Amino acid sequence: MSLVVDGLTKRFGRVSALDGLSMEAPGGQVMGFLGSNGAGKTTTMRVALGVLRADAGTIRWNGLDHRSLPRPTWGYLPEERGLYPKMRVLDQLVFFAGLQGVPADVATRRVREWLLRFRVPEFADRRAEELSKGNQQKVQFLAAVLHEPRVLLLDEPFTGLDPVNIVLLREAILELRDEGRTVILSTHQMETVEAMCESVTIVDRGRAMASGSLHEVKRRTTRRLIRLAVEGDHRLPWLRELAGVRILRPGIEQSEIELEPGVEPERILAAALAAGARVTRFELAEPSLEQVFIDLVGHPTELEATPLSPAAPATAAVA
Amino acid sequence: MPNPSPASAPQPAPESFSPRHDALLPNAWLVARREFGERVRSRLFVVSTLLLGFLAVSVALTPLLVRVVDRGTTSTIAVVTTDDALAGRTISILDGILNGATSPGGAAAGSGAPPAYAFVHETDSTAITAAVASGRFDGALEEQRASDGRLDFRFVSGPSFGADRAQLVTVGALAVAILDWTATNNQGATAPFLMPSVDVVAATGPTAGGQPIGAAEFSSRRVVGVVFVVLIFITLVIYGMWVAAGVVAEKSSRVMELLISAASPAQLVVGKVVGIGLAGLVQYVGILVPALVTLLLEDRIAGAVLGAGGSLGVDLSVVTPALLAAYGGFWILGFVLYSLVYAAAGSLVSRAEDLQVLALPLSLVAIVGYLLAVGALSGGISTLTRVSSLVPFWSPFIMLTRLTVGQVEPLEVAAAYAFLVSAIALVGVLAVRVYSAGVLLYGQRPGLRAIVGAVVRPPV
Repeated sequence: MSLVVDGLTKRFGRVSALDGLSMEAPGGQVMGFLGSNGAGKTTTMRVALGVLRADAGTIRWNGLDHRSLPRPTWGYLPEERGLYPKMRVLDQLVFFAGLQGVPADVATRRVREWLLRFRVPEFADRRAEELSKGNQQKVQFLAAVLHEPRVLLLDEPFTGLDPVNIVLLREAILELRDEGRTVILSTHQMETVEAMCESVTIVDRGRAMASGSLHEVKRRTTRRLIRLAVEGDHRLPWLRELAGVRILRPGIEQSEIELEPGVEPERILAAALAAGARVTRFELAEPSLEQVFIDLVGHPTELEATPLSPAAPATAAVA
Repeated sequence: MPNPSPASAPQPAPESFSPRHDALLPNAWLVARREFGERVRSRLFVVSTLLLGFLAVSVALTPLLVRVVDRGTTSTIAVVTTDDALAGRTISILDGILNGATSPGGAAAGSGAPPAYAFVHETDSTAITAAVASGRFDGALEEQRASDGRLDFRFVSGPSFGADRAQLVTVGALAVAILDWTATNNQGATAPFLMPSVDVVAATGPTAGGQPIGAAEFSSRRVVGVVFVVLIFITLVIYGMWVAAGVVAEKSSRVMELLISAASPAQLVVGKVVGIGLAGLVQYVGILVPALVTLLLEDRIAGAVLGAGGSLGVDLSVVTPALLAAYGGFWILGFVLYSLVYAAAGSLVSRAEDLQVLALPLSLVAIVGYLLAVGALSGGISTLTRVSSLVPFWSPFIMLTRLTVGQVEPLEVAAAYAFLVSAIALVGVLAVRVYSAGVLLYGQRPGLRAIVGAVVRPPV
């Protein structure tokens, strides 16, 4: 049981949104789908949903072509949030569940259970326009899961949520995974991916740059990382004189130091002793997913962005 | 490292699968129910129903208002005969009946006001109908004596001549006949009195198979036709815009992203058209009922406002069940056709402001149909009217007019319906294709090339 994307290609005029994208998401797992804005994540999801037709390539779920799968196979939380502003939350969630074949009484029961779980049972009778953006996002998440889809396509589900709601949503997603659902999680938050995703696909300009288990993907870089804590000056001034060494994340209690290929970790330890610093922690760690991403894509996720604006050419939203 | 697994090169999508088939129901009905509920509960719906109801009643009262305004004017009636004595008697009798009826005492009473009707004697009947149609005369009474001495009358009624007045003229004609019999038999002759024939025809307007429709009936039908055509035009354009605005609102609020993943474009378009159509129908009944009641009561109102003889002669017996059925059919099919176009157009813009730019060109087609229909109401049935009444975007207006004020061959009505249904099927397919592409478009409005591209090769 897995979701297999094979050679997916899609062009909008002269813009290539997907350029032979291939990846595999194991069933019953959360797969992190990483990429800059405009990398092709949303287009991939839209093709899977049947909203767009690919120029070439296939998407298969359990060996079946996605175009033959019933719509309720998929649950979709779009990146662009949107609800009917004047409609009561309960009414519109029952409406969306109804479109996916859920009877009104069943949908009503599920809505109330989920709202209770999200600690907002009173939202049922409120209009969507009366809710904050974060709360509207939670409501829209419910629209994606009420029909209990086999595959969940979540496009930036944590954007705009406060820390408490992020935790609530994370728990909900992991519980859905534990029920056997497959989750494709598109996000820019590397820490979230590292905490939730068993597998990862990094996509850039419509092509998969890496795809596999989180551990496999992390091993795609030759960089090494050291977590170092010292007593005294936490700014580590003596480190600046060492070639091939960079403080990746400076910190008060500990800092993360990146070593370029060929630089041995022992050199850090020797330099600390030579400078008279008392080392309280020295740990050789896996590189972060963000480092892998930068190595593979060449820039952080936030830097390259090609949002659609009124001045952009008229074309379908490419993301 | 590009595309690590499971393949490295894009392959053409294989077609060896059974594509998903999204049946229209039940999703289209769910969408329709939501649209209907949202519309009829909105304040805009209530306010627009009241406004349109007021407008419909105003249109229904138009003939009465025109009569009130025209009270101070003098209508000229030609009495056409070569018999000078007969002409004199006729003018004398009609003057007593018509002017006496509108203003008790008439001009002879010395009220100072001009008489409502003036009479002239004409001897040439060859171009009299054209003279009435051109407005030179408001009506003309032709008199001919048959070989047996009987008088035959033919009253040519102009556009401004009310049906009730035409009836008074027929009464006058009978009086003229009696007086004529008395005058020609005053020497003791015993020729029997022969009932005159009195034919009333309209100088302009419909001809049913070459036979003019009676003025009274034509007048009634024209009032009904005006009400029908104005209502169908206003409601088609308004409800069409509702459909377009609904699509734009779903795009601008981004709820469209959720919708298109849960339902097919055809389900969404059909559901929206049906839901808004039903809401429109509810509003329509709310508008039509007071308008019909006004028409029913109009004679009484006219009598109260204008006094005796003020009746407009509007006869609602012309609103037959067959006419109402035809009207309902054209309204429903016309709405479906126009709203499909509006749905496609709405999908192409992202903001309500942009929709205003599309509103005028969208309504232009309907305006042309409306103008042709109004022309047919007063100017008769021309070849242009006959042909355009079969064109799908215009037939809801023009064929309806023809049905209301004249007679139409059943084959023509069937052809108009057939063309309309065919057009709906074709436009429906095209509209769903444009909608499929349009709802994903954000940013600038797409050009004609992009629209044609979406029609030729839809995104899904």
